[in-house]
Amino acid sequence: MLVDLSLEGRYTLCKSMTNTDNDLALVQRLAAGEDAAMHELYALYGQRLYAYALRLTGDPHGAEDVLQDSLVAAWKSFRTFRGDGRLLSWLLGIVHHTALKSLRHRSQPISSEMEETLQSRLPSPEQHTEADEQSARLRTGLTSLSAEHRAVLELVFYQGLTLEEVAQVCRVPLGTVKSRLSYARRSLRATLVRQGLEETG
Amino acid sequence: MNSHQYFTERLPLYAAGQLNKEERIQLDRHLETCPECQADLVLWQAVGSEIQASNSAVQAPAGLAEQVLGSIHTPSPFQRAHLRTFNLLRIQAYLVRREMWPSSAALMFIGVAATLLARQVILIQYLAPLIAAASLTVLFGPEHDPACELTLATPTSPWKVLLARLALVHGYNLILTLIASLFLLLIIPPDLFWTFVLSWLGPMTFLPALALLLSIWTGSGNSVAVVYGLWLLQFTNPNWLPAALANLLVPLMEAYRHFWARPALLVAAGVLLLVVALWSAGRAAPRLVRSPV
Repeated sequence: MLVDLSLEGRYTLCKSMTNTDNDLALVQRLAAGEDAAMHELYALYGQRLYAYALRLTGDPHGAEDVLQDSLVAAWKSFRTFRGDGRLLSWLLGIVHHTALKSLRHRSQPISSEMEETLQSRLPSPEQHTEADEQSARLRTGLTSLSAEHRAVLELVFYQGLTLEEVAQVCRVPLGTVKSRLSYARRSLRATLVRQGLEETG
Repeated sequence: MNSHQYFTERLPLYAAGQLNKEERIQLDRHLETCPECQADLVLWQAVGSEIQASNSAVQAPAGLAEQVLGSIHTPSPFQRAHLRTFNLLRIQAYLVRREMWPSSAALMFIGVAATLLARQVILIQYLAPLIAAASLTVLFGPEHDPACELTLATPTSPWKVLLARLALVHGYNLILTLIASLFLLLIIPPDLFWTFVLSWLGPMTFLPALALLLSIWTGSGNSVAVVYGLWLLQFTNPNWLPAALANLLVPLMEAYRHFWARPALLVAAGVLLLVVALWSAGRAAPRLVRSPV
């Protein structure tokens, strides 16, 4: 078996802090222009990359476009992948810059589609519990953060990147990553407090 | 950095499960005494589970890899334009009169041999524009293109066809002349090389451009006669004429020779004539479709 597509396999692959032989072999095949290797790459990392693109753009169509453009860009530069960092963070870096570029070209920072997506994820009123309310407030807080701040949170909490890797993906100094985390904490705390006050008051 | 700030920065990593055992124990110890960090940890844990939960509902679009490969294998507009140009040149290279390639080369070879034997660089300067002009007069028209009617019936406009042939034939002639000039390095000093190249480049742009334009308007034979006449006129000597007439002509001849010795002016005028020629290639179509018999 060439690729371990099981969930456990995927998890360990993404969690490990170095490239597996499998990753390096895959990159070689991609650099050689092998179509099947692109399918394998997508099976391995597509889910994570799409989740990241969606977190930054906030709308499914935009995320799909971003991911497609990113993979086309990656295809052209697999030759330059030296294996210094993880393949996942290299790919996330491409998605990051493609997404921010597309956000800059978009007139509105948050599209109406994004609002709808958010609404559909909110639980129905019957299911309202205190935990749900807390969770809904947090969601509002997350979406009101800028794409750069959402990016850092997503990279740390979902993609499992170290702060150094986050700095590489965003191409900013380590100190900036730390200050973005600190800003996100203060901003989320403020949103939670404000919304809590509005609801109780 | 004080230890509280240090631990505050480690909290997100703690919540994300990225700390090793030792780091976790240190942080646990700090948490016991710091209510602020306890509250922050609760927040980070909530953020972590919120992000995990919202991503668990996300499903990467199926078939995206296929789309990516599709767009990779579709040539970009730039590549398509390149491909079209290449195909046009390839087809036109096949359609232009084939005897022209070896005959231009043979003439140039004779020119180089004669120049080297006579040690007179001016021979190449005379010859190169004549070869270039002659080969351009047979580029276009029913007399020279057996597939002329087909060419005109294709969606490629006549001026593009002409431009392609012009690029091929004139490019070939320029390269031939450049190679010939390299041979002449045997008898000229190297620092004069570019001066020499400039001395034929001007006439070699203007004269063939004029020849091409005239051939489109009046046919190849007339065109060759006119441009050769114009070119050779500068080497005639009016002194054998009656003295009164010669006196009148000498300053005119001086001015005329001066015109042929100005590369910048000749190149500019040549380019202008080429544009007019390309423009009239489309307009001259009725003459071109007339059968040669």
